[in-house]
Amino acid sequence: MKPDLSVELGPLRLSNPVLTASGTFGYGLEFVPFLDLSDLGGLVTKGLSPRPRHGNPPPRIVETPAGMLNTIGLQNVGVDAFITEKLPELRAYDTAVIANVFGESESEYVEVCTKLEGAEGVAAIELNVSCPNVDKGGMIFGNEPGALERVTRACRDATSLPLIVKLSPNVTDIRDTARAAEQGGADILSLVNTFVGMAIDVERRRPVLARGSGGLSGPAIRPLAVWLTWQVHQAVDLPLIGMGGIVEAGDALEFILAGASAVQVGTANFIRPDAAIRVLRDLEDYLRRHGIASVRELVGTLERKTPA
Amino acid sequence: MPQDITTSVLRNTDLGHGNFLLEFEAPQWSAEMKPAQFFMIGIPGSETLLRRPFSVCGLRGTFDDAPADSVQVLYKVVGKGTALLASLKPGAQLDVLGPLGNGFAQPHDPRARPVLVAGGIGSAPFPALIVELTAHGIRPWMIYGARSAGDLPLLDWFDEHSERLIVTTEDGSAGQRGLVTGPLEELIAANASGSLHLYGCGPEPMLKAVARLALEHGVRCDLSMEAHMACGFGVCLGCVVPTHRPGSAEIHYDRVCVEGPVMDAGVLAW
Repeated sequence: MKPDLSVELGPLRLSNPVLTASGTFGYGLEFVPFLDLSDLGGLVTKGLSPRPRHGNPPPRIVETPAGMLNTIGLQNVGVDAFITEKLPELRAYDTAVIANVFGESESEYVEVCTKLEGAEGVAAIELNVSCPNVDKGGMIFGNEPGALERVTRACRDATSLPLIVKLSPNVTDIRDTARAAEQGGADILSLVNTFVGMAIDVERRRPVLARGSGGLSGPAIRPLAVWLTWQVHQAVDLPLIGMGGIVEAGDALEFILAGASAVQVGTANFIRPDAAIRVLRDLEDYLRRHGIASVRELVGTLERKTPA
Repeated sequence: MPQDITTSVLRNTDLGHGNFLLEFEAPQWSAEMKPAQFFMIGIPGSETLLRRPFSVCGLRGTFDDAPADSVQVLYKVVGKGTALLASLKPGAQLDVLGPLGNGFAQPHDPRARPVLVAGGIGSAPFPALIVELTAHGIRPWMIYGARSAGDLPLLDWFDEHSERLIVTTEDGSAGQRGLVTGPLEELIAANASGSLHLYGCGPEPMLKAVARLALEHGVRCDLSMEAHMACGFGVCLGCVVPTHRPGSAEIHYDRVCVEGPVMDAGVLAW
């Protein structure tokens, strides 16, 4: 029997729980040579701002043990060009297109949400309140529960689409920001964005990245991200989308058992353009092998031997 | 359209001084790639996470003794990824994504003389280019510079296949002592600017110097750029270089992997 892969996250229904993460999947169309976008549960776009952004000067990336640091600085075409140039082509695919939204101020977040409200083919909005690589906006909202609740509420009022808030791991207690997003009216939480990190060129005695610090992603952060997902699962009632270093189906299952209803594949897309499809196929094999009828049966079913 | 394939190493020849020539089977690419297009190469199960970009060095017909349907990659061991690559024996598996990037264009004028300017391992994309130009009846000249004589891989091949080859080394151990810009300046002075078309590949300071000379004298100049990349197909935005649009001083960031690797010297905001 074919296992049921469909999932429901509040108002968002997905054909399967495997999505691709913002900033690692372009606008989706770049991957058309490598996979059928309709096979994905959903794709999350590069962060969209009210106007195009040029991003940060290079060097922007460096490989680190089992991971990479990036400081792209939200280079993107802007929400208007996304709607007119990218979205029409994306409508040809039967997948949930989730627009990742970024602003330097509360009003900019609202501006982008408002523009996407009437755009056909957007399934949900993911608020990027956790980018570590820009001076204004982003992580400022994601670090402070009061500010996060306000920007979430402002966007909630501006959109009828399912609203996802992407949490930053760079906080003292992620349960505080998770609750703040819930209070502000989020439908779903996704977690986690990158961890702030730094690599140093010891020969030159300078940071490797032009901006000094960057966001760490890849398998190196997976245990940290799984732990944070488990913590948030205990703290809020909202459905969760887990991410952080997922390369294989087993990695995705860790997040699902810890409480995530769906997952996002990120850095692995750079290494194998069809990484998400491989995760999905092997996830289906796992369900079949264990005689599990629906992936929904697994969400948050981690058995605890000792209290966390 | 790019493809992601698994293939195996045919030969991985040690050329000395840390330089290697890797050959792998790729019948779908050996006939149709353009010089300076590139691959992202990964080693299954290796401890490095990201694949590494390598430009194509040899295509069908570039090297006489090459196995049929193979392509060649010239590389130098500079870090963990290239050290792992150098350890591979024939039969070892490779994950290869390609062909990527734009590749070199033909000279702007069929009568223009292509002058290839290479710095060390930056000579990697030029064998395929030389053979392609020669097949079109165009005889390129080459200026090949490096720190020292050991840093000039495939020197004998270039000597045999370019109509004119000028070698420079910083320590004087081969050819003229000095930098490639010395003989390049003389060449530019001795020829009408429209009669030359420069193709450059090498370390950034060399490319900057070549670009400056070309722009000063109004010589057409295409540079094959190098950058750290995570994906190679336009989504990580990690490999960008600063550029200008015509008539504007505003800085843009273009991707070496998609808008390049070959870029007109005039668009680079150096």
